[in-house]
Amino acid sequence: MAEPELTPSRPVYDGKLGELYAIYLRHLVLMVLTLGWSRFWGRTRLRRYLWNHLAVLGDRFEYRGRGLELLIGFLLVLVMLAAWGGAMWLVWVYVFREKPFASFGLFDIFSLSVALIGFPLAYVGHYAGLRYRLSRTRWRGIRCAMAGSAWRYGASATFLTFANAMTGQLLTPVVSVNLTRPRVVNVRFGTLPFSFAGSAGDIYGRYLGFYFLNIIAWLVAAGIALAAIGGTVEGLGVSSHEIGKLFSQPGLRTVLIVAAVAIGAYMVFSLLILPLRCWWQAYWLRYLVSHSRAGYVLFATAISTRQMWGFLVVNYLIVVLTLGLGWPWVMHRTLRLIAAQLWLYGAPDGAAIGQPADRGPRFGEGLLDMFDVSGV
Amino acid sequence: MAGRARFYDGETAQVHEVSARPTTSELVIFRPADSGIVARWPIGELAVLGDLVHEAVPPVVRRGSEARLLVDDPELRRQLAASLPQLSPLAAPPPAPGRRIAAFGVTLAALVSLFWLGVDYGSEYAAPLLPHGLQAKLGESVFEELTADKDECHGKAGLAAINGLANRLARAADYPHEITVHVMAGGPVNAFTLPGGILVIYFDLIDQAKDSAQVAGVLAHEIGHVVHYHPMKGLARQYGIDLIAKLVSGGYSDLLNTLTSGGNLLLALRNGRAFEREADATGVALLEKLGLRADGIASFFEQMMDKEPEDAAAGAGIWSSHPPTAERIAATRRPAAGRPAFTDAEWRALRNVCK
Repeated sequence: MAEPELTPSRPVYDGKLGELYAIYLRHLVLMVLTLGWSRFWGRTRLRRYLWNHLAVLGDRFEYRGRGLELLIGFLLVLVMLAAWGGAMWLVWVYVFREKPFASFGLFDIFSLSVALIGFPLAYVGHYAGLRYRLSRTRWRGIRCAMAGSAWRYGASATFLTFANAMTGQLLTPVVSVNLTRPRVVNVRFGTLPFSFAGSAGDIYGRYLGFYFLNIIAWLVAAGIALAAIGGTVEGLGVSSHEIGKLFSQPGLRTVLIVAAVAIGAYMVFSLLILPLRCWWQAYWLRYLVSHSRAGYVLFATAISTRQMWGFLVVNYLIVVLTLGLGWPWVMHRTLRLIAAQLWLYGAPDGAAIGQPADRGPRFGEGLLDMFDVSGV
Repeated sequence: MAGRARFYDGETAQVHEVSARPTTSELVIFRPADSGIVARWPIGELAVLGDLVHEAVPPVVRRGSEARLLVDDPELRRQLAASLPQLSPLAAPPPAPGRRIAAFGVTLAALVSLFWLGVDYGSEYAAPLLPHGLQAKLGESVFEELTADKDECHGKAGLAAINGLANRLARAADYPHEITVHVMAGGPVNAFTLPGGILVIYFDLIDQAKDSAQVAGVLAHEIGHVVHYHPMKGLARQYGIDLIAKLVSGGYSDLLNTLTSGGNLLLALRNGRAFEREADATGVALLEKLGLRADGIASFFEQMMDKEPEDAAAGAGIWSSHPPTAERIAATRRPAAGRPAFTDAEWRALRNVCK
């Protein structure tokens, strides 16, 4: 039996932050000019840049989605929502007889019902959005694809998230594994399916460690915060009235104090809480990557807690301190991290992989755009 | 012309190291090693997907086929672009990012400033131009929502008195539409204005007023809001500023949305304080124009201050929708001169409007 070919390689990202910013700022200019309607085209341009500057085994990805497809997807969901609004109006007329029930009027019925359906629909949108993006992604000229039902994923994600919330997040490993599996095993590169061999049992021990350490860390952080705030106020002899006055008529000094307190709180949070979270997330990412496979190609990452912490904390600071203008920088850093931390072993058998049977959805991401904050 | 390129046949995921050479009618794609021909694409069917601004290597395709030719070698790209006009996007160098960033950055800053000014000043002129029917419809629906669980008072004579004064005041300001005043049973001691000339006044305010001048003063203040179209301007500004914040932040971060909505709230409250000052001034001016007692606004505020010496509006500062009460008293204080706004019979009817 022949030894499997397991030559290691890493993706290469050769995008330049300046070029990405030029595309992003043009997108923002058009967003203001079109009152947001250009977002579908802007998102598409950013994807074209990011995809094409990432290469695996020397071959670049290609994004061939079109802004018009995203616009139509959005308009279709808008029509669906209008139909839903019509249905709610009928409920208002025939069930409520146009009389508000305990000040619960037509607008409340509509908002509440949209919030209720929006929660599962956001999950459906995540899956359908992934299907759309994959169907517009090519590598070596071969389209990617996504099998499986977005509705089934939406139902399962809603149920699992609800069950997890009811059990104080103790089901997180079950939820993570069961929501990751369909998102991995249904991915196709052409005719080549991906596989996932993860199981919740493998990661429960680590998760429980994180879970209880996290509770202790929050208690310690709360203790430190209380001691710091109590101590400071007492030490200064400031009354609550004076504090109120300070905030209602803020001068430069108040702004500086608030900023210092916010930075202090974030330091406590980032030193105590985030490392733990990163410890768990880095572990989960390593597990997820190493238990996924594409035919003969194996994946691995050695991302450490410290790297994850540096990545998340700096990303957070970039977005906050630049009031959102740092978003391309975060995307750039993300792709650089992928390129630095993801290892592939082996290469796909190109001759055995053909184009997938279906061409994917004709339009895309309407649900995602409507019910979820959608990035690139 | 034997530069480096990669060819994907579009049927399998195989990679072919190739080069390409144009002839008079075809682009010939061949293996440099043995000169074996991989594909021959008619020149008329060639196209480039994308451009060098977005793609590092824009794929060359034959229309209708899924095969791709990726020309990595810049020299080969330049030569192909020079020979075949269809392939010119392969060699069009993108403008330097620094220049594009500067140009788009300046344009963005200018657009945001213009948009901001447009919202701030545009709403001043645009709000009165909005069809009155639309404003009234909006006002009515908000009225239904806000007062769904309250009882409305229907005393005919009382309503006629307060509606009569409200419309006289509005006409004095050349407001061209009908004003409708609703009196709601109970409290709080408050009154407010909705789009479309709809006023809501709570009976507790009428009940606790020391005299008719105070109710007339509050009513005149609300008419001030109506004639300046404050509800519509407030809505337009809040919506406009919310929109620009979302557009510029890309709407990408929940945290950012929270920050921008916090900032937006502060701006709305600042607008609110400006509107209140304007309504106070207009209210007093309208009462004086009609020769009516104009001391009611200040005396109403003084009564409120007596009840609650700790001024909530002053305490809340930038978080308050109203200016400090002491400042409003000073600005609206007038002598108790002029005719009463209501006759004795009207005032009695108004006091009984909920009975």
